[in-house]
Amino acid sequence: MIVTLSLALAWVPGVALAAIDGRRRAAGWFAVAALVAQLAALGALTVLVLEDGPQELVAGSWPAGVGIRLRADALGTAFAAVSVAVLVAAVAAEVSDGVQTRAFPALALLLATGLTGLFLTADVFSFYVFFELSMICAYGLTSIGGRRGQEGAGLILAVVNLFGSFLFLLGIAALYHLTGTLEFDAVAERLAEVEPTSAALIAVVFLVAFAVKLGLFPFHFWLPAVYATSRPAVAAILSGALANIAAYGLLRFGGGLLPAELELASTALAGLGGVSIGYGALQAIGRRDTAEVLAYSAVGQAGYVVLAIALGGAVGFAAAATFAVANALTKALLFLSAGQRGAVMALGFAAGALSVAGVPATAGFVGKLAVIRTAVEDGGPVVVGLLVLGSALSFLYMFQAYQHAVWRGEDADAVPSRGHVVAVCGLLAATLVLGLWPEPLLAAGDQAAAAIGGTRP
Amino acid sequence: MTLLLALTVAVVFAAGTYLLLKADLVRVVAGVLLISHAANLTLMSSGLSRGRPPVAAERGDRVADPLVQAMTLTAIVIGFAVAALLLAIVYRVYVTHETVDLEDLSRHDARAAEERRAEEVET
Repeated sequence: MIVTLSLALAWVPGVALAAIDGRRRAAGWFAVAALVAQLAALGALTVLVLEDGPQELVAGSWPAGVGIRLRADALGTAFAAVSVAVLVAAVAAEVSDGVQTRAFPALALLLATGLTGLFLTADVFSFYVFFELSMICAYGLTSIGGRRGQEGAGLILAVVNLFGSFLFLLGIAALYHLTGTLEFDAVAERLAEVEPTSAALIAVVFLVAFAVKLGLFPFHFWLPAVYATSRPAVAAILSGALANIAAYGLLRFGGGLLPAELELASTALAGLGGVSIGYGALQAIGRRDTAEVLAYSAVGQAGYVVLAIALGGAVGFAAAATFAVANALTKALLFLSAGQRGAVMALGFAAGALSVAGVPATAGFVGKLAVIRTAVEDGGPVVVGLLVLGSALSFLYMFQAYQHAVWRGEDADAVPSRGHVVAVCGLLAATLVLGLWPEPLLAAGDQAAAAIGGTRP
Repeated sequence: MTLLLALTVAVVFAAGTYLLLKADLVRVVAGVLLISHAANLTLMSSGLSRGRPPVAAERGDRVADPLVQAMTLTAIVIGFAVAALLLAIVYRVYVTHETVDLEDLSRHDARAAEERRAEEVET
């Protein structure tokens, strides 16, 4: 029941809003209200899942094994809740500042639907359908708005990510051909007996598809142009909500469906992650524009997620999930507070910057600590050294960005509205509370890792 | 049959990738579409089986796998929506920049950036 509710609360209003001019304030606030209601439903669902275990639902009351299954476990609900929380903040800020395009509220709601659906589905093909739904909304959000170069950036985002999506579809076709089923559990069970060469090929296809979404090093080329030209709220949605798809996908498909192949590739993946951390940090240091710094910083953060997944095991997966959740909140906070006037905005940006650098009392510290702890256990001195170096560099570039953005006030020309300030306060509070009281975050991470292991035979 | 399908998919995918690397945005969109069709064809061929359509099957008949057809149909609808969206964005690019050539576009952008820099120096 509550699984259906957490989908329908965004879906129905989203479809209704598509027919209405979203520039009207009432329409905008209606979208925010719908998202808040969905967040409440997801919060209740998360509590239920953490206490009673996974919740299942077969669509259309079909018998199990025939109908499409929705399955809410700790991994899915944690990602869904944080994505919708970021969407609430970003949409509230944008609506309060004044929406400039008529499609914005509807696209944001449908994006929330797509994200929730893909985090909660137990079926590989409906994962693809929800995934495309959220990506199409993202293409729409990035390319409308009339800022300089925005259509070009939106087109790059769309073409590159569509290439990734169709690769993913090819992977699904291969998966179905090999296993004859589409349910995550059954696929994982049957893949264990499949010929290793075929499974390895599928694993590579999935890795490329998700690495493109995540912006991992050799696949990151689209990311800076898109983040730098989008509106702050849209950039916050892209980095705080949409990037979660890739982290979730790597965990679910890599850790859950293809654990043997993941182990086989762990050295290569750790290498990619390490290069991504170094490259992102060095590029970010060389940039002046805050949005570009944050974009390259996202390339570095992608490296942390992949490195944690590569180190593997329950600890690594828990670290990856914790880091991804903390990073989503931090990035949304940074994008919403960058280039805005006022003490609250400066405070928000400072807290976000410290969180990216991994300074204690922020959520970013908890995430980074989890990754570094995994590296100490399973990695080795090189990996630990790399992580610490990456953190030091991220402190450097975030401090530079803070200097440019707040002390010199170079880009601070926007006066935030009251709703924008409240949204930033909410994200700021979330970042600090999770930093000071990390138990819920760590527990969610551990349960999420257990949920991945649970789909294994 | 499998070999024939595999070759067709390979040719369509290669043609799509070739078009994707062109500077003309309309060709890029066509390339994306071709790649989507290559994926659809793979999806169709992933469950090749002979038999009666499941809607008209009698008890005891061999039935063709309907799932791949349902999936392909869904994927085609998604591809259609994506194509419409991409063409709409390309049209927006044409309206604002009066060109759909990527090289012209980056030249435009470079010139605009230079003008902005000149303005900043003046002020």
